[in-house]
This record gives sequence, C-alpha cells and structure tokens, in this order.
Amino acid sequence: MQTPNQASIDANNLLGLSLLQTDATKHENVPSLAKALPSVYLVGDSLTRLDYHIRAAATWDDGRPVLARDVEFSLKLMFCPGLPNESIRNQYRFVQAVLTDPKSPQHFILVCQGQSPEYAHASGDFFVQSEAALDPQGTLRRYSLAELQRRPNTAPADSGLQAVARRYLAAGTAALAAWPGCGPYRLTQWKKDRYLRFQRKPNWWADQLQPVPFVLQAKPKQLDFVIIPDAATATLALRGGELDVYPLMPAREFNRLRHSTAAQAGLRFYTALSHNVVTAGFNTRRPILADALTRQALSRCFDATALLRATQLGDGQRTVGIISPSDRINYNDSLALIPFDLNGAASLLRQAGWRRTTGPAGGWYRPGPSATRQHLQLRVRYRANEDVFATVALQFRAAAAELGIPVLLLPTESGAFSQALQEGDFDVYVRILMGNPFVFNFTPILHTLGVGAGNSTGFSSSRADRLIEAIAAANGPARRARLLHRFQALMQQEAPLVPLFFVSTRVAAGRGLTGLHVNSLKPGYTVAAIERPPTSTPLP
Amino acid sequence: MNWLVFWRLARTGLAVWALASGIFLLSHHDLSGAARMATPDAADLPMSGSANPSATQQQATTRAILQRLGAGLPLFYLSRPPAAHPGQWHWNGRRNQYHRWAIALLHGDLGTSFRTGQAVTTQLSNALTLTLPLTGTAAALAVLAAIFLARRLAAGPWWQRPVRTALAGLHALPLFLVALALLLLLANPEALDWFPAYGFDQALDTDADFWTRVATYALHLALPVTALVITALPELTLQLDTALRHELRAGYATTARAKGLAEGAVIRHHAFRNAVLPTLTQVAELLPALVAGAVVVEVVFALPGMGSLLAAAAAARDYPVLVGGVLLTGTARLLALLLADVLYFWADPRIRWHV
Repeated sequence: MQTPNQASIDANNLLGLSLLQTDATKHENVPSLAKALPSVYLVGDSLTRLDYHIRAAATWDDGRPVLARDVEFSLKLMFCPGLPNESIRNQYRFVQAVLTDPKSPQHFILVCQGQSPEYAHASGDFFVQSEAALDPQGTLRRYSLAELQRRPNTAPADSGLQAVARRYLAAGTAALAAWPGCGPYRLTQWKKDRYLRFQRKPNWWADQLQPVPFVLQAKPKQLDFVIIPDAATATLALRGGELDVYPLMPAREFNRLRHSTAAQAGLRFYTALSHNVVTAGFNTRRPILADALTRQALSRCFDATALLRATQLGDGQRTVGIISPSDRINYNDSLALIPFDLNGAASLLRQAGWRRTTGPAGGWYRPGPSATRQHLQLRVRYRANEDVFATVALQFRAAAAELGIPVLLLPTESGAFSQALQEGDFDVYVRILMGNPFVFNFTPILHTLGVGAGNSTGFSSSRADRLIEAIAAANGPARRARLLHRFQALMQQEAPLVPLFFVSTRVAAGRGLTGLHVNSLKPGYTVAAIERPPTSTPLP
Repeated sequence: MNWLVFWRLARTGLAVWALASGIFLLSHHDLSGAARMATPDAADLPMSGSANPSATQQQATTRAILQRLGAGLPLFYLSRPPAAHPGQWHWNGRRNQYHRWAIALLHGDLGTSFRTGQAVTTQLSNALTLTLPLTGTAAALAVLAAIFLARRLAAGPWWQRPVRTALAGLHALPLFLVALALLLLLANPEALDWFPAYGFDQALDTDADFWTRVATYALHLALPVTALVITALPELTLQLDTALRHELRAGYATTARAKGLAEGAVIRHHAFRNAVLPTLTQVAELLPALVAGAVVVEVVFALPGMGSLLAAAAAARDYPVLVGGVLLTGTARLLALLLADVLYFWADPRIRWHV
C-alpha cells in the first residue's frame, strides 16, 4: 500500500479523530479527542512521560465511550504484523508504552524514549480506533507495545495477530460504511477513483460541547468529494455549478478565472502562502559540486523572480531559505535574497578555481586530485509532466549556457526520479519541499545521518549537524528562532539547496460559501467549517 | 478447419502465457521500486515530527515492505548464485514467486494490488464494466459509420472531395485535442452547456427510475464515445474507400457494370467483399483497445476505466495489476489476430492456412 496522500488524510479526518489536531485559524496544535494538550514530564535524561485525558463526552458510534484502552489498541495495531504499516511505524516507535489508569479509564500516560519538544505534538497525531469493534476478543492485550515493536519480521506467524490484521483489512475494504468511528461523518457511498460521499452523523458527541472547539466543528450535512483528473474538466464543473470548492487549483486555470468577469460573478478566489518551497538541490558528492563556492555560483544562475512570475502568475513569494517568509518569527529577514547575477556567478567560479577556456572543447575546467582535470557540466533531473520544474530547469540551462556551462535536462518519470535521487544519479535536481510551521526537524534532509536515506544532496557538515540537533532539541520559541536564523544563514552560505520561492495554495469556491478559512496549512481550507446560506446543492 | 482453429487457439494460449510470464519475471525481478512507493518521500519528512529514520532503519523498513510484497522467496525455479560463486545455478524447487503466481493464476487468482490491497480481478472487472460499453459502442459506431461512408464515397458523388479532405484533416487531430474541443464546446457554461463534464456514476447512484438512469448514462457517455468515433472513423473510412476504388477499377467490376448493374449494386455485391480484407485487420486492431481502454478520453472525462487503471498501476509500480492488465490485453490482441484470420477465411475462401 502506498503512503497516504493528503486527500486521504483529509477524508480520514472526517471519519476519525486524533488526540490533537491543527487549528487552521490559530496555526497551532490544539486538543481534539484529548481534553487538553498533554502534560510533559521528563524522567531522567532519556525518557518523557506525556499525560493525556480523553474528553469525557467522546463516544464511538455505538455509544461506548472512547477510552485509554482504545489509544493503546491503536498504537499496538500500527505494529501488528500483517498490516502494511512499515513506514508509519518509524514515526511512532518513540512511544514505548501506554500506561492506563484503572481508576480513570479515560486517563493514560505515554512513555516515550528520548526527550524532544516535538513529542507532545507528534504523540497525538494518529487516528484512534475502537478496540471493541476491531478486536472484540482483546487479542492485542496479550502483547505489550514493546513486544510488538521488537517483533522481528521473521517471527513465526501468530494466528491471533493474523486474525486481528485480517479483521482490520476486511473492515477497510468491505464494510467502510459501517466503520466504527468517533468522527463527525460517516462514509455512505464511494467508488474507487471516482467519488466519496460523507453524511453528517445526526447525533455526534461533540455537538454537546459548550462551546464547540473549532477543530470539532462539522457544519455541512453532506460532503461529496469527487476525483477529476483533468484540470480543464474540473474548471468546467466548477463553472457549471457542479462543484462548490476547487482546492489546489493549478495557477493557470485559477488566474484565467480570476480575471474573467463571468466567473467572478459566481465564484470567489482565495490564496494563502503555503509552506511548500520549489527548490533546486546540488549533488554535493560530485567532485565538481563538492565546494560551496561552486554551488553559490550556480545558485546565482536561477532567476527566481522571473520564475515566480512565469510559473505562479503573481502568487507565491521568494525566500532566503527553506522557512516560509510567512513565519515571521523564524524567517531570517536579515539575509539578502540570492540575486540572478551571471557576472557574480562567473567571478565566484573563478574563485573556486575554475578557468574558462575557449575553442571547440571550451568550457570551465579546474585541476582535480592526482593530475586529473574537472569539467563543469551538469545534468538536471526533475519530475516529468511538471511545468514548474521544467520551466526552472530550462531557465537554468539558458543562464548556464550564457556562462558556457553545458547543462543536460533529464525529465524523469516519478518513480524513476525517486530512485535516481536516492542513488545520487543527478547533479542538480528540482523539486518541491513540503514544510510546516510546527516541526523544524531537518535531520532527514540535511544531516549527515540522513545521507543514504532522505538527504539526497549528500550534504554533510559537522557545523550544520550540530545546528540541526540543537534546533530539534531547542526548548523555547525564542532560542529556536535564533538557531533557525543561524541555520538559514549557514545554508545560504553552504548552498546545498537553492530554495527558489514558496508557492501559494489556491482555492476557488462558490460565492455563497463562507467559513472556508483558506490558510497556509494542508489542505489549504477547512472543509468541515464551510457554511452555505440556505438554498442549494452538494459540496466539493 | 475445427482442429486448425483449436491448434491456433492452443498456440495463442501459449503465447499469452509466455507474455504474462515474461512481464511477471521482469517486473518482479526488482521490487525495490514498488517498495520505494510505500515509503514516504524524504521531501515530506519534516512534516512528520519525530519521524527521523536513519539510513539503517530505513533499510530495515524497505526489507519489511519487500517481504510483505512477496520478495522473501526466490523469483524463479532457478536462480543465479551470488557473485562470490559464479557459474553455479541454484535450484529453488517449487517454493518460488513464479510458481505461486502461476498456480494462483490457474485458479483464476491474479493476486492483490500492491497499492490498494484489493483483488486484481475485482479491480479489472470494475474497470471493464466502464470501459467495455464506452470503447465497444465507439468501435461499433465507428465501423458501421466507416462502412456506410466508404460505400457512399466510392460511388463518386459530388461531395467526395470535401469529405475526403475533411476526413484526412480529422485524421491528423490527436485524440486529446478532439476530446478537449468537444468538452469546451458542448459541456461549457460559456459555450453550449448540453452535456455534463464529469460525474458519471454519482448520477447513476441516485434513486431515479430506470429510464432516467439510462438517459443519464447515455448523456454521460455521449461526448467520450463521440471523441473516440471521430478519431477512429477517418482511418477506417479512408482505407476502405481507397480499397473500394481500387476494386472498382478491376476487370470484374467493369464486367458487372457491362451486365447493367447500378454502381451501388456493383459495390455491394462485388467489390465490397474484396475490398474489406485490410479493414478486417484494422477492426481486429481495435479489439485490444476495447479492453485496454482509452487513457486520454478517460482522463479528460473523468471516467476511471482500464486505461487510467493501467496507467496509474504503471506509475505506482503496482505490478500485480499491471501483469493482470497485460494478460487481459495480450489475450484480447492474440484473439483478435485469430479472429482476423477466421474472418479472412470467410471473406476470401481462396485463402488457406498453412500449418
């Protein structure tokens, strides 16, 4: 099974709840199924205890209360053999045990290995499942969480665990409409790759809360999600009133409609700066790209301003680093944007030891180790079928050609692209990095530990490693912001990545709708808070 | 004749099996691509809080995924030994991926999709229920219209030149252009809003009466079918028209005219059967497309049929679905070739098979 995409996470959010959720209006994590954010207790120097209470009113569809046992069951279910959860397990391996409280069945403590300010956020970020519905015999109770986590792949099959896995998979494929949830909606109709229909539960437990927190609001009575692969078709459906909301709209369609008077009459247009940044990355393992000066020179060959204009049609924003300019505290605005400056690039190349030769085999050369000669020529890889990446790559090639650097473009199929990145089969790549304003953990993409895993540039520097570790462990927003400012300055200097610009989330919606709360977080709007003044048809 | 057909069928079956086996072995030779699809993209990782897998942990995860996908077993009966002992092949016995797949296939089980966990046969049959009416209607209409039009054109009416030019023009248009043009002309509130742009079976799931549902169905299929007919028609018509005109210049046509037959009768009773041979091959070419679906039309009109299923399976390295799809389209193609041979035999009894 593939990793869940954003659309499936959004759909799951309607069916189930997690302990904590992101409040798009406040841009912070707030309690959802939990009564309050967990109390954090550090034990010694290697353990953290997170103390949670589930809301007393929270119930499953059958009226049973949501209990600490359900949370324990959900965590164990992730590690149950036979379920395709291999990669998600890595995310929750830090929770070692769930201590339930016999006196208070809705109170529990998560014992976590290690100490990190991010644990409080990360520990509440999974959907809680009903033990009574999925494991009525209590099979998983026979195992501790640690036992399941340590269970090797080669362990002999256990019939009890297999039965739980089968039951879970069967519930997911056959009887989704009867899925035991504690969320506000029920999936009543669906066809794979076509559409999903959610109906609001008439008596949902959170309706009794006074006041109803924003993350537990669920206003539409019925929500239809339809899958339309082609942007032109989706735009026609939106214009024809068959759709109410078109999220993540492509720039060109959005811009065309926004400037059409006919469309303006029926639609409203929203944009918000997202946390996704179009980035070029250098393969620092290549001898020609191993030094920062060469990388700095090449980063001056990207005309980010023109690219932003050409691909985003006015939305989006340039940036100095991989932290969004909308994050005013953490964004380092004292740094200057990297200019598009070919003369500057040429002089940096000369500083890096390159010399330009003319003639038929002309180009930039410098002496390499053991009497070899390095030739500066680059292969740029990006996902095929992505106009934005193709435009960036073409612009880079044109600029490099002016300097006399040959550039070969390699548009690559998505799966082959991931493989090429992992194997380091590229000189420069162009892609989008997805960020968020809560977690600043750059270990996977820029730390030495990530080399061979997610760090596809192969960048490794002890200074950067120390800074990344300090950011991950920083307690207090002020200290973290200071460290992040230093990190952005260091990254601009080292230039393993060239963050070009942040893109905008674009949402077009019927004029009559209110409460979309278009924001910088995924999926860009809050579907459950949408309201429509009386009269009309179904939703997105 | 019967045993000849049987012999050909057996050979076809063998060829399909060899094709599917080839695809299976090639695709399952290296499942790491499929495993990579099941691991989160590094560009997404800062999202996931404490998710901080080191390279070794990630390798362990990949190994676990590979084991789930069935890569724990050797691929085939024979395997090449590790590079340390070159030259010695290892016999794996029946405990291998290919043997399991082949046995399951003989029981009608194509396995489960890597991507969704659904049975491949369910996915294929779901897609076929949408694709067959679409491509079947389009193929039937295109063939009938081509026969009708070519017969009229061959008779040499005054409008033959402009129509031939128009057909040649249409032939040059790619399918996506035709589909988009139809959509923007006939399902656009800013032009003519006659047809729905999408939403095929949502409309069918409502509790309307039978005839309303049939009408909705027809309305939703009208544009995709038209797009397919428009792109298939010119090739069929122009080919048949040329063949007819060629036959009409032959001696037997002149004799028929000398007997006093009208031009229409000469075409119908004498020339058509001789001219139709190349068209039979063309029609047989259409058959595999019937089950393979039409990706472009499916994407433009949001119809999730075989074309999009197979394209998505290829992009997601969902090998069981891909192998199932290849098996299905391969069978259709080989059967179509067989059918073309049988039809040739019917059209021209002088043709003989040589075994």
